[in-house]
Formats: sequence, structure tokens, C-alpha cells
Amino acid sequence: MAETVIETHQLTKEFVRDAFHVVALKEVDITVVRGEFVALMGPSGSGKSTLLHLIAAMDRPTSGEILVLGQNLRSLNDRAIAKWRNAHIGFIFQSFNLIPVLSAIENVELPLKLTNLSKKERLEHATTALQLVGLGDRLHHLPRQLSGGQEQRVAIARAIVTDPDLVLADEPTGNLDAGSAQEVLTLLSRLNKEFAKTIVMVTHDPHAAHFATKARHLEKAELLPEGQVPADWK
Amino acid sequence: MFRYFPFILKNTLRNRRRSILTISSIAVSLCILGVLMALYQAMFFGEPTPAQALRLITRHRVSLTQPIPISYREKIQRIPGVRGVMAWQWFGGVYKDRRDPNNFFPRFGAEPEFFFQVYPEFQIPDDEKQAFQHERTGAVISRTLADQMHFKLGDRITLVGDIFPVTLDLKLVGIFDEPSHAAILYFNRAYLRDALGANNPRQNEVGAFLIQAVNADDVPRIADTVDRQFDNSPFPTRTESEKAFQLSFAAFVGNLKLFIMAIFGAVTFTVLLVSGNTISMSVRERIREVGILKTLGFTPGAILSIILGESVFISIVGGALGCLLASGICGVMRKGPGGNFMAALRTLEISPAVAVLCIATALLIGLISSSLPAWSASRTSILDSLRSTG
Repeated sequence: MAETVIETHQLTKEFVRDAFHVVALKEVDITVVRGEFVALMGPSGSGKSTLLHLIAAMDRPTSGEILVLGQNLRSLNDRAIAKWRNAHIGFIFQSFNLIPVLSAIENVELPLKLTNLSKKERLEHATTALQLVGLGDRLHHLPRQLSGGQEQRVAIARAIVTDPDLVLADEPTGNLDAGSAQEVLTLLSRLNKEFAKTIVMVTHDPHAAHFATKARHLEKAELLPEGQVPADWK
Repeated sequence: MFRYFPFILKNTLRNRRRSILTISSIAVSLCILGVLMALYQAMFFGEPTPAQALRLITRHRVSLTQPIPISYREKIQRIPGVRGVMAWQWFGGVYKDRRDPNNFFPRFGAEPEFFFQVYPEFQIPDDEKQAFQHERTGAVISRTLADQMHFKLGDRITLVGDIFPVTLDLKLVGIFDEPSHAAILYFNRAYLRDALGANNPRQNEVGAFLIQAVNADDVPRIADTVDRQFDNSPFPTRTESEKAFQLSFAAFVGNLKLFIMAIFGAVTFTVLLVSGNTISMSVRERIREVGILKTLGFTPGAILSIILGESVFISIVGGALGCLLASGICGVMRKGPGGNFMAALRTLEISPAVAVLCIATALLIGLISSSLPAWSASRTSILDSLRSTG
């Protein structure tokens, strides 16, 4: 039986914004097993990014349980969560979010600065990750010297450089042209198939979802049963 | 912390103009603080030379501008432990064009027969010493003054009195070498007395007495004995070490310690605000990056140390530059005319202790000014940070 990587029970996230009480996620139960590539889909405001943030421990749920890699995230303090995230999670943003003053290799090296690796080992790992995403010849380029697709590939290299158990991607192709988006999705698919990385990707794009092994839909803060899509889904 | 240093350095260089301006403002402030600290150290902590340690100066208790009777000399001379006493008179006066600052050098009336006894560190050829002791209009000057004004033996130096209503036509009979390199002139006080005329009551007054003790252990007792002796007279005295006397000379401008500390406080506070504002601005612009770093696994403590490190780095660079600037200014002040009036200025320097204090102050400025923005950034949630548009 495949190992469960993510397991949530009645996971709920509510918040108050400008005196309005908002339910961002309502009683979500989801299970992701090792080696899956899950696409979380749904319209804006359906709660898919909120779910991703809760899985990455970037936010805390209002109620319910969330176990990621067997760890109950509600029981950890901020410092422990940061260390856990560094060791187990690779996160890819829609807008790449590279540090502009650092070169590609320095950006990729950043998460490794929190490990016990020596400078030489860190640079070796970062170089390997950049070669894996096809940017071995762009090690010392600054983000502004790269195209959007290349920037996102640097971000992917940064997400996988620590060899995390789980890669989370929040609309990774949202800011890319079709060609670059295809390259990034192919890369994620390769990471899943060749390196058995468990990936959870939030996307609007049905084409992107085709690269995943499984798609789950959210609508109005609720996770629809597996195989079910919203009524107005095209 | 050192692991993050390349990142801290790159962040510092991110907005070069702002960093340079911040470093400059800290450097200028720390330069002022450095000079003040050096001044404070030279004035209040400097050790007297062996010759200085034996010298005392007796003046009127109220002020240096009040004269005391010349007759006190005999009474002071009788105190056990006193080796010699010399009357000492500030003359002032005008030499040539008063608008030329080079013409403003200290000139004192002294008693040639005791002069080189109370100033044993002054070196002069015997024939010039004799000439000073025997020529009523004779004057001796320091080598520094001779070089500065191109004076040579035999030159006439005319001083037009302002405090005293007389003109002194002095003849340069000697040039002495002295360790502090002050530009200074001494003439025979008897000549001033003669010039004042027999009926002038100021003839029997003197500005101060220089007392030379036999040994340094006697100095406090002698000072106490002199002052107690004249306690109930119309001209009560204050006897103090040469160093304390020079400080009281400087105290004409007010409470020096308070003055220095007030400037010190004001400069530090101002630079704290400037630095704090810059760091806050810099952190606010990069709050999104704080969210990214946290997503990568940076702990609040790591974020705190990166921001504090950046601020401390800027402050220390500013502090080091400030120290160098201050060292240059101290060099200029050492050679300036102020040293002729206050010996402490002639030893002014950025000592290792002052440099360490300067750098420590810079370090504190860096830490304090960035602590609030750094703390706030380290506590901001990832999602709030990522939502920030800077």
C-alpha cells in the first residue's frame, strides 16, 4: 500500500476580512499518496491556494486535522515549522519569487544555507539542480537576465534542491507564455515520473491538469468528490 | 550568521545610493563622536608628564581673570615641599595685524630666574638662557613659534597691550625646544611691571603662580595648604594641577563635560533616527522577500539576524570611516592654534580605546535602529509578507 503523504480531516479555514467573515476552506478531507501528481483545480476563490498554503504550513487551519508526511502541523511552533518546511517541502510560486540580487545558483543555494552542507557541497547541489532543469549554462545569471520560463525553472531548481518529499506548486504556469508553460509542466511531470516526487499543483488550466496523475476540484471552499467537476466546468 | 554574510552584503549593495548616503551620515556622525570622545579622553583622562605632575598653578578662586597679590609668592615658597614658585601673567596684546590668525599666539609674562626651573623640560642653550635672565626686554619663544613666524634671535617683537595699557618692545633672545610643540612666547614680567609705572596698582598683581613641588606625592598637600592659607584673605585662591588648570581655562565656554555629553547624545540620537528610518524603508520594500525566505524554511531568528546583520554592517562601515575622518581631524587640531592654549589638544588622537568605543557605538546604532523593523519583519506571517507589494 502506498505511503500517505498528505491527509486532512474536516480541514477548515475561516478568516475575517474588513468585518466580513469568510470561509476559505470547508471541512476538506483529502489524501495524497507518495508519487502522486495531483492537480487542484477550481475557480478563483474556491479555496485551492488556501489548501496548498495549509499543506505547506504557511498558514494554520481554523479547525480540522492536517497530517503531512505523518506530522501533525498544528503541534509545531513557528521555528519547528520553518525547519520542517526546509527539510520536506519545495514550493513553486506563480510569480517565480526569485531574489533579484542573487544569481541563479545563489537563489538555488539559499535553502541549502539552512542545512549543514559546506559551501562547496551547496554549490555542487545547486549546480546539479540547475542542470536538471536545463539551466546549467545560466548559473551566474541574475533573474533579470533570464526569461520568464527560465526564471520559473530556476524556481523549480530551488524547490527541489533540498530533495524534498513534497513539491507544491501554486499556478506555476500562470505568468508564462504557452511555450514556457509547456516546458515547466514537462519538467514537473519528469520530476514526478523519473524522480518519484509527490507533487500538488494548483491550476486553473485544464491543459496543465493533464500533466497530473490525478485532478481534484474545489468549488465554494469545498472539495468535490473524486472524479466530480463543477457544473459549469468546461 | 556568517553563512548569510554574502547575502547581507548583496542586500546592502542593492540600493547603492541609499547605502552610500546612510553610510555617509553615520560616518559624519561617528566622526563628530570620535573627535568628542578623543577630546574627552585627552582632557579628562590624559596622564600628565613627570614634569607636569610636579607643577601646580595657583590663581584667584573666583576666576582666572581676577589677579592675586605678588606678595603671596613668599608665603607659598615657605610651604614645605615647594621647590620653586614663579609669577605668571597672561598678557594678551596685539602683534601686528590682529586679523591674521597667525599673529595670535599666547604671550605670558614670566620670571626668567625661575622659568627654566619650573619648566625643566624646556631645552635652551645656556647663553640664551643667560640673555633671558639678564635682558629686561628679552623674550624667549618655542621652536614651533619661531618656525611658524620665521623669527630669529635678535628680532624685535612689539606687542600692543589690550588688557594692559602698555606697549612692549621685546627683543628675541632665546628659542627653546619643548615637548608639546606649542607656539608660545614668554617675556620678562619685570619689564611689564616697569612699563605699568610705579603708581599703577597692577604692578603688584599677578595672574597666577606656577609652583614646582619636590615630588608628586606632595602635590595634593601643597595645593591644600596654599588655598587654606589664603582662605580668609580678600584674594582667596584655587590651586590645581596644570591639567586641571588648563581645563578651567577651557571651562570659560561653560561646563565642558556636559557640553560634550550633550552633543554626543544629540548626535547619537539623530543618527539613530536616520538609520532607523532607512532600515525601516529598506525592510518595507523587501517584506515580500521575507515571505519567500520563510517559505524556503528560514526561521524568524534567521530573518532577524539577516536584517540586523545588514544594518550592523552599514553602521560599522560608517563607524570605521568616521574613525578615519576623526583621526584626520584630530591631526589637524593637534597642529592648530588651539593647542597653544590647551595642552590636551596637542595630544589629541583617536586612541585604540576611542576607536573601539566608536565602533561599539556604531554597532549599537545598527542594532537599535534595526531591531524594531527586523523584529516586525521576522514576525510577519508568510502570507501577509507575500501579499505585500513593497
